[in-house]
Amino acid sequence: MNVLITGAAGGLGRAFAVECAHRGYNLFLTDVNEAGLVAIREGIIRQYGVSVTIKKCDLTSDADVDALLRYSQSLGLRFDMLLNVAGIDFEGGFMDRDYSSISAIIQLNIEATLRITHKVLEIRSTDNKLFIVFVSSLASLYPIPLKATYAASKRFLLDFSIALREELKSENVSVMSLCPGGLPTTQDALNGISAQGFWGDATTNRLEMVASNTISRALKGRKIYIPGVINRIFSILGKITPRSLVARMLYIRWNRAQRQWLKLT
Amino acid sequence: MRTVIITGATSGIGFAVARALAKLGYHVIGVGRTIENCEAARDKLLSEIPGARIDFFYGDMMQQREVHRLADDLSAHLDRFCGGRLQALINNAGCVRSWYTTSEEGYEQQFSLNHLSGFLLTYRLFPYLKRCNGRMLLTSSSSHKMMKMNWKDIMFKNRYYPLMAYKQSKLCNMLFAYAFNTRFAKEGVRAYAVDPGLVNTEIGNKQTGGLVNFVWRLRKAHGVSADTPAQTYVYLCEQQPGADGLYYYHCRKQKYGWQVNEANAERLFKMSEQLCSIEYEVNAI
Repeated sequence: MNVLITGAAGGLGRAFAVECAHRGYNLFLTDVNEAGLVAIREGIIRQYGVSVTIKKCDLTSDADVDALLRYSQSLGLRFDMLLNVAGIDFEGGFMDRDYSSISAIIQLNIEATLRITHKVLEIRSTDNKLFIVFVSSLASLYPIPLKATYAASKRFLLDFSIALREELKSENVSVMSLCPGGLPTTQDALNGISAQGFWGDATTNRLEMVASNTISRALKGRKIYIPGVINRIFSILGKITPRSLVARMLYIRWNRAQRQWLKLT
Repeated sequence: MRTVIITGATSGIGFAVARALAKLGYHVIGVGRTIENCEAARDKLLSEIPGARIDFFYGDMMQQREVHRLADDLSAHLDRFCGGRLQALINNAGCVRSWYTTSEEGYEQQFSLNHLSGFLLTYRLFPYLKRCNGRMLLTSSSSHKMMKMNWKDIMFKNRYYPLMAYKQSKLCNMLFAYAFNTRFAKEGVRAYAVDPGLVNTEIGNKQTGGLVNFVWRLRKAHGVSADTPAQTYVYLCEQQPGADGLYYYHCRKQKYGWQVNEANAERLFKMSEQLCSIEYEVNAI
């Protein structure tokens, strides 16, 4: 099994890499952070002895992604799984940030994810099953004031993946979306979780469980994976509550959390 | 002038040890995670002990490439200002985590910082210790006694139990000190593990959340001041020749847990070498 992981030097990407290595899969890891890639390759080889290839790539650049896939092809690698992890989170009102940082979310979370997915699908051989996982978010299930662009970008990935799944069903491709709550990865993420107080802890998922269950469920051909009982209940409540009401409630919650968060950072 | 390196020296036990040793006239080299913390700690020490010789280096010891960079900087400093001699290396930097989080290498963070960072830094600075019959101290904990090594899943990757991962990292400190003495005690370099007891520090409230944060808030209130355990570190640095024994509490040799034995120590030592991609010199055995 050869697995391509984007954003592999970040918290969730690393957890996926470790999980896949633990299962004995060979890895092809990419990220913009080259030092981070070197470190995770070393760590995985020392622990698990699987084959790990790394290549730095800016997924927002067409030329970079082409070079990445040319490199993998030159090594004769055929991917059995693509984990689309690379993405950015973002806090703050739409008008509180300059447009370039808003645009960066769309470029990375949506455009870059679609770019690499399209190009990987182009070069695949249809004889082999391909598993694709999109890392969406619990945030994709609701319109979220103060995280409007981020939540909508994750909504895009969720809807897109469900649609793509139907298109490619007959072509030996299985597509799944992962919708986690908070994940304790970076210092920022940890601040974000504690800023939300009780609900931050309640909706936080265990990174090690998310990584392992995601791979298991993807292999079983599942459509969506929402980790955690509380998050699943929230997702159902979100479906039956009018969206404008959800938005109003979330605005109150995030407004409070945001003020707390600003204090922490 | 005797030189000592203390990691995690900007707060808590490390800071108290730095202060106690600086008062005794040691050249104290502290290591902290951020430049701001280091500067604040240095200023505070100098204001309390005017004329003391204090230097600080900063780096995130969770990441091995940072440990290597720090070791380069520290080596250059020791060569230049300390006659290439280091009387004591105090591996004190440590953390508590409430969730499974990894270092850049994908290693669980408590294991990576509390054990591997000291294992690697000691390897890098070993030549300086050897030159002056130096000693290596580790901040362990009596909680190691309730713990066995989780050999099947050393990083608790399959399911994370924060407290187990912490206790195991403290058992690792014991095992490292044990294996270190097996190898190097006859060359005059000794390792000691210190049980600081329950100390009122911030360790359980940094980058933690939920239950761990809450429990530590309640628990630390019953802890003693960090100056109390600092005396044990001072005692171990001062003894000439070096004290025997392995595990100390209140300046006294203590019994350690039954899991601290040759087999476990050797197994961890070999595994740690593999995880750091280093090999301690073998001719000493």
